[in-house]
Amino acid sequence: MNEHDLVIQRFLDHELSPEERTAFLRAVDANSDLRRRWLNLEMVAAEAAQLPKIVPSAQFLSRLKAQVIPAPPSLLARLCAAVTAHRTLEWNFAGAMAAACVAVVAVAGLLSLKPERIVEVPVTVTPAQTASFGAPSDPKVFVRLILVQPNAQSVSVAGDFNGWNPAQTKLDRTDGGVWTVTIPLKPGRYEYMFVVNGKQWIADPLAAEDAGDGFGSQNAVLDVAI
Amino acid sequence: MPLDRQDERSDAQLVVRSLAQDQEAFGQLIDRHASAIVNLSYRMVGNRAEAEDLAQETFLAAYKALSTFRADSKFSTWLYRIATNKCKDWLRVKRPGQGQYDLDADESLDLYVTEDRTPELLLSQQQVAEELERAIQRLPPLYREAFLLKHVEGLSYEEMEEILSINGDTLKMRVYKGRVQLSRELAALNQMR
Repeated sequence: MNEHDLVIQRFLDHELSPEERTAFLRAVDANSDLRRRWLNLEMVAAEAAQLPKIVPSAQFLSRLKAQVIPAPPSLLARLCAAVTAHRTLEWNFAGAMAAACVAVVAVAGLLSLKPERIVEVPVTVTPAQTASFGAPSDPKVFVRLILVQPNAQSVSVAGDFNGWNPAQTKLDRTDGGVWTVTIPLKPGRYEYMFVVNGKQWIADPLAAEDAGDGFGSQNAVLDVAI
Repeated sequence: MPLDRQDERSDAQLVVRSLAQDQEAFGQLIDRHASAIVNLSYRMVGNRAEAEDLAQETFLAAYKALSTFRADSKFSTWLYRIATNKCKDWLRVKRPGQGQYDLDADESLDLYVTEDRTPELLLSQQQVAEELERAIQRLPPLYREAFLLKHVEGLSYEEMEEILSINGDTLKMRVYKGRVQLSRELAALNQMR
């Protein structure tokens, strides 16, 4: 590649400084051979950029999606699945209190009907729930945080809810390098960041909102409401 | 936030949802990137049906290997890497030059023409585009791949380095030689008229 070729190449790749571009354009103006070579290459780049785009066919898209998106199950299959599905009990204070109230009312009702048989049934539900979740005016919501970091050795989270102490809340690794943790939080607004390998602080890419931290970075913001 | 950063972020969200067995999310990734992958494959192999088969293989390979996707990379960059490897594997088996010119492409050229061009200019521009398509097909595959990513897909050399795992100077040289070869072919076409 000679000197002219090199400068044309750098011009087309937008690598010349403003001064070099000016000098190049002056040289092009004065040298018809250089001008012709440059224009030929410029035309190739310009024409290539506006080559027509093919639109993928509908058959292609439907065939491809059929291989990754399973067909919706039949009514019978959905019914069977609904009956036999494993269920995870999601527990919160309000629900626990409601259940406890139902249990107390039910026990009271039974006592009124058959006091001699029911009198020794221990009503331990309410104290157990109170011990787990604090006073009734202090409800909490379980929040799950997720971060994809397949190459990380450890991931923890630091935020308003743990005094910005990453050692206090570590995430667990699951399949595919997805790290998760579930934490109980009182309703409110919290700022937080993930800490990867104990030293790299990153904002949650999935957070719905960011806020400046006063040091030039962005914290993720979490609004917890019941 | 710039639009491409937003796209990058929502791609990352769709990947997380896909990893959580939300297949609809992967369907959305297909909708977003199918056109780019089909077009790149088409210009690498020169045949629309083969291009769609290769694009399908690309997406299925990405779906199976989604758990290995590194979140610090762009999803589109990762897809381009899989697609270019699929195309080169195909070319190794089929050998360049054996693909036939796709008649469907002529139809899409007709559709592309806008009405405000005069017939003379329309003919000339359409001919240039057709000749350029053919000339691109005659480039050696490695030069073709570099030229397409740079000038048709509009990627930076940094992105190309990540996709092809080749250093920037080599890529610049391949793009340069591709440009020179194509400009010679188009110049020869003008002289023949």
